[in-house]
Amino acid sequence: MSCTAFCFDLDGTLTTTEILPCIAAELGVAGEIATLTRLTMGGLIPFEDSMRLRTLILGQVPLARVHEVIASVPMAGELFDFVRCNVDRCFVVTGNLDLWIAPLVEQLGCQVFSSRAILMDGMVRLESILVKDEAVHQLRASGRFDRIVAVGDGANDVAMLHAADLGIAYGGVHAPAGATIQAANLVIHDAGTLCKLLKAL
Amino acid sequence: MQIIEGAVIACAGLGSRLGMGMPKCMIEVDGKTLLSRLIETLQPLIPRIHVVVGYREELIIEHCSQHHRDVVIVRNPEFRTTNTAHSLRLGSVGMLRKVLYMDGDLIIEPASLENFVDTAVKIPLLIGVTRAKSSQAVFVSTREGDDALPESVGAFQRDLATPWEWANVFAGSPDLLVEGTRYVYECIDPCLPAAARALNLHEVDTPEDLEQAKIWMRSRHA
Repeated sequence: MSCTAFCFDLDGTLTTTEILPCIAAELGVAGEIATLTRLTMGGLIPFEDSMRLRTLILGQVPLARVHEVIASVPMAGELFDFVRCNVDRCFVVTGNLDLWIAPLVEQLGCQVFSSRAILMDGMVRLESILVKDEAVHQLRASGRFDRIVAVGDGANDVAMLHAADLGIAYGGVHAPAGATIQAANLVIHDAGTLCKLLKAL
Repeated sequence: MQIIEGAVIACAGLGSRLGMGMPKCMIEVDGKTLLSRLIETLQPLIPRIHVVVGYREELIIEHCSQHHRDVVIVRNPEFRTTNTAHSLRLGSVGMLRKVLYMDGDLIIEPASLENFVDTAVKIPLLIGVTRAKSSQAVFVSTREGDDALPESVGAFQRDLATPWEWANVFAGSPDLLVEGTRYVYECIDPCLPAAARALNLHEVDTPEDLEQAKIWMRSRHA
């Protein structure tokens, strides 16, 4: 029997808004971080550089407050339900930090591949930044799945979409980056349409 | 009864005979693109719609993001070296049993497509035919003879003209679209004779076809 794994980007795919600008609002720099996030998703700034910079800035917000903010970030309802119903074969693949997104991960209930950080003397210290195709390679090497589907919207999803058997550029929240479309097999603009297709695979 | 899981519209081709520098499905007739007309006709009849893009895909992706957010866009980056059968096969992702296939350069009278779909759910393969009028027609010989409305196709033929031609529409299994076949009708050919229904439609391949289609649209509204 065939078994398909589904890899989802988090920010702007499973969530209906980018998460980091929400955290930045705590420091009064939501607009600035949103701009940085947009440039990063568009591929104009390397993801690793941008993530280091954003971690440095947003690390000033107390972790408990970050968790409160993140717990209230809206999720794409139909996609959230799809993940909840298929937790054994759905995976969140995100450049965001494990330390920050823990409350969302708990809600979703599936395995997560993410960037890693630790709290040291009250400071967020970045340990590693996820290269997203690594998640696909690990899932393939596990031997559990004979097909891997990946869904994402940003420039940092390109490697993941390339590595997957079926790459989907998702434009439900905002238009997918040009490079993301070029790396994809499919382009889908609506959560309900995406779910209908995923269920048929 | 076997429901139609979805429709696949092939829009990847160059449309070089029309020479307008855009995919043919993006041509507007009476202020609406051919693609929008097809999607709006299909939506009440079919649960899922896939649009296969290639040549100038960005135009179609943008158009769908504005007007048809609930279609799935399937990319065929090899559109220059592959044919429509390949595009339709790519477009069948997630569809297993019965699919309605069509070219994106068609204007179809909604009522005739509705009748076609009604019949297609009852039989494994249904071929669309239309009154011969296009400049490079693939003619069909029908069992009913030239004067009657066709109910089955006996053969496809390029050389021997008949009053009916292949409409570039069929409903059947995705398995029919085999690798390496040049034309879609050649994929169906091994299944002949097969059931057919007449569709009232116009195909837009050349500037003359486009003029004919516009006149046809006006006559329908008159």
